[in-house]
Amino acid sequence: MSNTSETATMADGASGSGAPQGESIVKAIDVHKAFGDKVILSGVSLEVARGEVVVLVGPSGAGKTTFLRTLNMLEPIDGGEIHVNGQRIGQKVNSRGKLVDCSARELAAQRADIGFVFQHFNLFPHMTVLENVWHAPVHVKGENKNEAVAHARELLEKVGLADWAEARPRSLSGGQQQRVAIARSLAMRPALMLFDEPTSALDPEMVGEVLAVMKDLANGGMTMVVVSHEMGFTREVADRVVVLDGGRIIEDGAPAQVFSDPQHERTRQFLSKVL
Amino acid sequence: MNFNWEFFWQALFTPSRQFLDGLMLTIVISVVAMALAFIVGLIIALMGRSKFLPFKIFASLYIWVIRGTPLLVQLVIIYTGFAAAGIFRFEDADLFGLVIRGAVQAAIVGLMLNESAYVAEIVRSGLESVERGQHEAALSLGMTPLAAMRRIIVPQAIRIMVPPLGNSFNQMMKQTSILSIIGVSEMFQVGTIISSATFMVFEIYIVVALYYLLLTTVWTFIQAQIENVLNTRAGLPKAEPVFKRLFGVRSKKMTRQQLQQHADAVKA
Ligand SMILES: Nc1ncnc2c1ncn2[C@@H]1O[C@H](COP(=O)(O)OP(=O)(O)OP(=O)(O)O)[C@@H](O)[C@H]1O
Ligand SMILES: [Mg+2]
Repeated sequence: MSNTSETATMADGASGSGAPQGESIVKAIDVHKAFGDKVILSGVSLEVARGEVVVLVGPSGAGKTTFLRTLNMLEPIDGGEIHVNGQRIGQKVNSRGKLVDCSARELAAQRADIGFVFQHFNLFPHMTVLENVWHAPVHVKGENKNEAVAHARELLEKVGLADWAEARPRSLSGGQQQRVAIARSLAMRPALMLFDEPTSALDPEMVGEVLAVMKDLANGGMTMVVVSHEMGFTREVADRVVVLDGGRIIEDGAPAQVFSDPQHERTRQFLSKVL
Repeated sequence: MNFNWEFFWQALFTPSRQFLDGLMLTIVISVVAMALAFIVGLIIALMGRSKFLPFKIFASLYIWVIRGTPLLVQLVIIYTGFAAAGIFRFEDADLFGLVIRGAVQAAIVGLMLNESAYVAEIVRSGLESVERGQHEAALSLGMTPLAAMRRIIVPQAIRIMVPPLGNSFNQMMKQTSILSIIGVSEMFQVGTIISSATFMVFEIYIVVALYYLLLTTVWTFIQAQIENVLNTRAGLPKAEPVFKRLFGVRSKKMTRQQLQQHADAVKA
């Protein structure tokens, strides 16, 4: 499965149109978010370059999930800006030069370029595994169905689930479901993949198979932001580790550096629990 | 016991034209009212989910008032009450050469309004039974909220909604018997007319009861069929067999098993 020629095509979405080579795929600027009067994000800024893999860590309740969800506006923000692949997400300048919210249709089109893998997979139970993968390319992007089905089969093959194409999601193990969920996102040929603790709902023996797929994806050049407590994976795959605490980024650096020489006392405390 | 078997068999197996017309009217009113109630109920349910406050308030008031008052009273108000107050009078109308009596129109409207409040509640809880994550997964794949509703949420919710909707329809078919109060010549009203003309009171009402039983039984079969088709499409085991529905033998074990299936489905 971890054959490089395969993984190159697996992440072919990453080389699609949008920002020119070298420019950042994600550019979050001073993002603020509160639920009621509970402040969750107080000025988070993050840039992720094309092909970069960033792992987001931090204590429970730090706002990791919330931040990840703001990147495709599943969570609307109260302040700041988010740009993905050169497009400002959720907002645009109208004909009179004023900044306004995008329409539902425009926002949907932006989200179509951003893959999101959920902790609990969220596969569509009323469809087969294969249909889960080709549904959005056909119905959202208007791809030709035969081509989309062929592409879906290819992706299932790559995540090692070709034999399960006609099965129902609920008959699969957690690890298999999560691999289908990854294939489903990849089918949209996204410019960016977001993962929110993709292995934390899995039985320990299934974690490896999902991480292997993610590693392939990273090796294939996909730009990824991953919330994860899998430190082995992080050490091996991440280009950068970003530590979020209390709604702020308190540390940002290469894994080796962050793990061996954290700048912040809170990072030290947090890492002592997870390493 | 005084029971005229000859009259009974005759009324049961060779019902009069008048009786069959009554039966037909019962079916037509039920089906038309249910179809309209489904549309109105859907609209009320969507209003209840809307972010626009006046819609939400209207939906809540509507459901509260309609479910909190008897159908009989609602019918009399919209047919007799409205006419007496000079608000609105249901007049006989001509639909493609078919005369539809004012009372029948009032009956359809009344049943439709009444049923729609129940449909709205069923639709609401059906939509709520679909996990939030489904909606979010759909959005993350680039669907608009409307497309997510149509392609992801509704197909899953329908399966949850069909059993209670079917039961509600069953209930409504039986309730058409009170339409006699506003002079609709449905099956029960016809039975009453026959009984006062023949004095075969017991016999004719038993026949009427058997015909209602026939209607609800046939519907139970149809409903089971619909549920099975939906379950098969969703890759789930078959719905509860018809004899179990009819005779109410839903064992505790079965219920727990179904709960488990539901829990598994939700978890997946
Ligand atoms: N929809 C919401 N409404 C209100 N509060 C919320 C909502 N979503 C999250 N929160 C709160 O925001 C805070 C941050 O949540 P978030 O899920 O982003 O944390 P996290 O870093 O992902 O934590 P974990 O490691 O436990 O997943 C938590 O205190 C949580 O209770
Ligand atoms: Mg989280």
